Amino acid sequence: MSSPPSQPSKTANPARARTTEAAPDTAKVTRACVLAVLVPGLGHMTIGQPRKAGVFFVVLMTMFAIGLAFGGSFLPFATDEPLVFLGAAAQWVVFVPRLLAGFAGLGQGAVTAVTYDYGNTFLIVAGLLNTVITLDVFDLATGRKRPS
Amino acid sequence: MTTHLGVMILFAACVSTVFGTLLRDQVREQVRLGAQIFSSLVVGAYVVGWLMYFVFG
Repeated sequence: MSSPPSQPSKTANPARARTTEAAPDTAKVTRACVLAVLVPGLGHMTIGQPRKAGVFFVVLMTMFAIGLAFGGSFLPFATDEPLVFLGAAAQWVVFVPRLLAGFAGLGQGAVTAVTYDYGNTFLIVAGLLNTVITLDVFDLATGRKRPS
Repeated sequence: MTTHLGVMILFAACVSTVFGTLLRDQVREQVRLGAQIFSSLVVGAYVVGWLMYFVFG
C-alpha cells in the first residue's frame, strides 16, 4: 500500500512564499499614514486613489467646519477626565486643520449655544473618521487590502 | 438646520458618505452602501427616539 504522491502547493513552504512576496516599503507606508493624519485624504492621494482622497477631504473638512460653526470647542488633554482626554486626542487626528484653527483663535466653544454639543460631536467624529481612513491607508499601503 | 432631526440628517450624510467611499471601490456600490447606511442611521434613530418616548416619556 503506497501513499499518494504529494502534490506541490503554494502552502508547502510558507516561509519561502513569504520571501518571494514583495515586502511593504516601511518608509512609504509610514509617510502615507502620517500624511493621512495630517490632512484628510492626503494618504489616499499618495497611494494613488485621488477620487477617494477628494471625497474624504471634502467631507471631513465640511464636518470640521460645521463643528466650528456650531460653536464646538477644542477639548483640552484633561487627564482627570478620560472622555475629555479621548475627545481631545480624536480632534488632533485631523492635525493640520486643528492646528490652523487653533492658531486662528477658533474653537473656543460657545457653551451657551444650542448647538454646542452638536459642534463638539462633529469635531470629534471628524477625527475618529480620519482614524479609520488612516487605518485603510495602512492596509492599502502594506498590501493587506487590495483595491478591486 | 439646528433642529435635532436636521443635524442628525447632516451627520448621517457625512458619516455614510465616508463609509460608503471607504468600504467599496465602484461608484455604484459606494452610492448604494452609502444610501443604506444613511437610511439605517436616520430610520434607526427615529425608531429609537419613538421607543424612548413611549418607554420613558
